[in-house]
Amino acid sequence: MNGWIAAGAALLACGVAPAAGCAATGPVRRRVPAQNLTSTFLSLVFLLLAQGFHRTAYTDTALVLSVLGPAGTLLYVRLLADELADRPPRPRVLRTVTTLSYLAVPAVLLPLCFITGPGRAMGKLLVIGALLVCGSWSAARAVTAAATAGHTIGAPVEGTDDG
Amino acid sequence: MADDLPLLLGLLLVAAAGTGTVLVRDPVRQSFVMSLFGLALATLFLLLQAPDVALSQLAVGSALTPLMVLLSVRKVRRRARGERREERE
Repeated sequence: MNGWIAAGAALLACGVAPAAGCAATGPVRRRVPAQNLTSTFLSLVFLLLAQGFHRTAYTDTALVLSVLGPAGTLLYVRLLADELADRPPRPRVLRTVTTLSYLAVPAVLLPLCFITGPGRAMGKLLVIGALLVCGSWSAARAVTAAATAGHTIGAPVEGTDDG
Repeated sequence: MADDLPLLLGLLLVAAAGTGTVLVRDPVRQSFVMSLFGLALATLFLLLQAPDVALSQLAVGSALTPLMVLLSVRKVRRRARGERREERE
């Protein structure tokens, strides 16, 4: 086991597992941001494992996850918009989750880019990083939009809808 | 032993997510745990150095299955609501 695989396992245990725990328990307002954070961390784990196994082709899994992870989150936001509008997530939690993913992406990608060196592989890594950051940003924005839409509609309308 | 640590971690995640999926009763909350189960399985496949299987598992597990579950729940709830309204009228 080399250092990259050890780092991947550490991120899996200390980053992915707690985030997945948050996404699996509690109210919907906590689950949706936690699900996005889980997919971001897992994508970074895949990149570390690809470097650890010395297989650059393994980064394809991270690329696919960086596209599908935020897509899954947007899906949840779209289909659970009513629940998110009823009980919107706290802005502080949302900000913390987004900041965590913004910090984790360069913390993992910079050493990987350094060890890869300039070339096509590094371009791929940078694309994955950009996708992850854009995904976190758009997911946070979608959750905020769903929550504020609930505020403008107001409680009585929601009440008649449920009846 | 140290070499198998990531694999053990992946197996543990799959076991925990699988058990969680079975234990959760509400379909909406179950779809969250099920997507996490899909992600855990993809991690395990990558740790076993099978990236092609991991890719297909990611595509199916992280977006497609939750979409189908949530769409079905939405449709069933709408139909139940419509029937209730008809009964009242």
